[in-house]
Amino acid sequence: MIRLGIAGRTRSLALVENSPLRRADPRTKLALSLCASLAVMLSLEKLAAFMVLYAVLLLWARLLPEAARQVWRLKWVLLVLFIVDWLVVSRELAVVITLRLILLAGAFALFFATTTPGELRLALEWMRVPYRYAFSLSIAFQSVGLLDDEWRAIREAQQARGAWVPPTGWRYLVSKVGDLVSLAVPAIVMTTKRAWAMTEAAYARGFDSPRRRPYRQLRMGRLDWILLIGTVAVAAALLLWR
Amino acid sequence: MPPILQSSEVAYRYPQNNRGLVPVSLSLERGQPLLVAGTSGCGKSTLARCLTGLIPHLYHGKLSGSVRLDGLPTARTPLWHLAERAGLVFQNPAAQMLGETVEQEIIFGLENLGLPPDVIGQRMAEALERFGLEPLAGRPPQTLSGGEQQKLALAAIMARRPPVLVLDEPLSMLDGTAAVELVAYLDTLAAEEDTAVVVCEHREEYLSNVTGLGILRLGNGQPPSTGDLPALAPGGLPGPGGEQYVLEVEGLTVELGGRPVLEDLDFRAGSGEVVAIVGRNGVGKTTLLRSLAGLQKHEGHITMGGGHPDLGLVFQNADLQLFNASVREEILYRVPEPDMALYRWLLAGLGLDRYEEMPPLLLSEGEKKRVALATVMMRRPRHGLLLDEPSLGQDTAHKERLMRVAHALARAGRLVILTTHDLTLAAAADRLMLLGPAGFVADGPPAAVLDDATAWAELGLSVPDWLVRPRPDGREGP
Repeated sequence: MIRLGIAGRTRSLALVENSPLRRADPRTKLALSLCASLAVMLSLEKLAAFMVLYAVLLLWARLLPEAARQVWRLKWVLLVLFIVDWLVVSRELAVVITLRLILLAGAFALFFATTTPGELRLALEWMRVPYRYAFSLSIAFQSVGLLDDEWRAIREAQQARGAWVPPTGWRYLVSKVGDLVSLAVPAIVMTTKRAWAMTEAAYARGFDSPRRRPYRQLRMGRLDWILLIGTVAVAAALLLWR
Repeated sequence: MPPILQSSEVAYRYPQNNRGLVPVSLSLERGQPLLVAGTSGCGKSTLARCLTGLIPHLYHGKLSGSVRLDGLPTARTPLWHLAERAGLVFQNPAAQMLGETVEQEIIFGLENLGLPPDVIGQRMAEALERFGLEPLAGRPPQTLSGGEQQKLALAAIMARRPPVLVLDEPLSMLDGTAAVELVAYLDTLAAEEDTAVVVCEHREEYLSNVTGLGILRLGNGQPPSTGDLPALAPGGLPGPGGEQYVLEVEGLTVELGGRPVLEDLDFRAGSGEVVAIVGRNGVGKTTLLRSLAGLQKHEGHITMGGGHPDLGLVFQNADLQLFNASVREEILYRVPEPDMALYRWLLAGLGLDRYEEMPPLLLSEGEKKRVALATVMMRRPRHGLLLDEPSLGQDTAHKERLMRVAHALARAGRLVILTTHDLTLAAAADRLMLLGPAGFVADGPPAAVLDDATAWAELGLSVPDWLVRPRPDGREGP
């Protein structure tokens, strides 16, 4: 028996429906993202040049705003890393590390902003990942957005019974760390219960059946082949150019 | 005809809390409907899991006796094989959604049957049409209302065409109309499609008209005695101390996700009242309570005694509010100088005495809701209480207890507002308000509002024949 991941309601990554990559095969997009990730091994000048090329691809795919949003979410991590690298090693390394992280965030955005959890599952199955694990991963991906909602609901519920007071000021915050128990325990319990409920629901509909036959099959189209050939060419160039 | 489902002295004990199911024997033929009734915590959900094979395949407590499903011993048959013969619709439909869209929710179970894609497409289309889900086909299941989710859960199971259907408290989250529709469907399923239907349910009155319904009562068949509510010393119940406050709501408007949920709502309620609010699924009852508790951004004015009301909210999902190691610790958590007389009164009044040292998270859903109510009451909210669907998971006796506690609070000068689908609970309030999409359509003593056929029709709800109407003087009965 396998326990499934948390249940899903919303996606923290918005699906960009009007992107031309939305209709592409998830395997193609995975290849594109992996190829972009390869560029992290380039030196600063080449990395900067590649990033311009990648930005053009994102612009064509109407994914630049979404990629920018994902990078913005990492702003504090990027800032801290940049300062630490600059102070400890050098400014050049700080810039390279920051650009690499931005590139990885962009590669992540390209795949997840155009791929549904179901498509991810099909791609994983094609890669010979056993169905039960592919299914669990896709459910976990589907569920990410729910965590925010649940955390908010728990905070409100505890507030309503007077067990949690919204902290103000850092001293107060420190003294209230203990209060996190009142939030963490229900969060763990709810996540575990939800995972268990989904596990039961899946098994009650024959999740472990050896007869399973997928309704939807992956098919490569013309756009996929063009993108894939381009990706292979860029990947080869990156390996030779570095 | 051999029975499609048969249990012989099947009993089960959960390893974590020694609760479970006492020995049950039953035999069910195709096309036969069976109601499994019993008090809260008597083992109805456990029996549902035993009958469908989830116990013992997914649970590892102590099982005795046997269950045969279509002649197959459930303990020795793979779960997927059993799932082809018996479908189980769980108590909370939201928690059992696995698909990204309504269509995919239905497809999931059909894929596992190994059907060719064209047959899957055909069966999916049939299920969408049959349950009126076509307009919702592309929507994520979590964005549907409770009633729609219940339909989807049923559609996803019935598309697999199992000869046995087991439903665990299918009516608990449905409004009256949706409950009547579901029962009519189950009646047809059993009578015309030869499906054996097992319904584990508290609200058994709704099933009274099902053709050929068998009834299995778990436990001793007798409702637990509610006893008398113990007396509390005067002043023991925290209240405004003789002062009368009026809750005034003017122009309350709430939008959620760009959609208006409540629009320009006006009403007044005074301390000393128990007010029940009834409306269809998704009409905004919970949003209204959240606004009154100060948890929901809104437009308009909400005041009580000149300021924002101090009303304690007991959430629909008690898991959100509980985290301590015992019921005692939970109720007394961070209560400065706790009033132990009030604590004892709450334990007795809510039927929690025997669970005092138990971890609240191991209790049944109904028991957890009562613990959550006690935790909020111990905080002594100044103006009163808000209860969101308090009857969920409660049997008749515990509903009575709840209402007695609510009335005791009202007598102590507090305001109690509860939202409910359960008309027996609503009938026991002092005042009943019917909430529709455009605002309140009726407001008054339950006896009068329950007889207001026009208002109920406007709401799209109806009052069932079996409901015992309160007398105009407030007493129950004809």
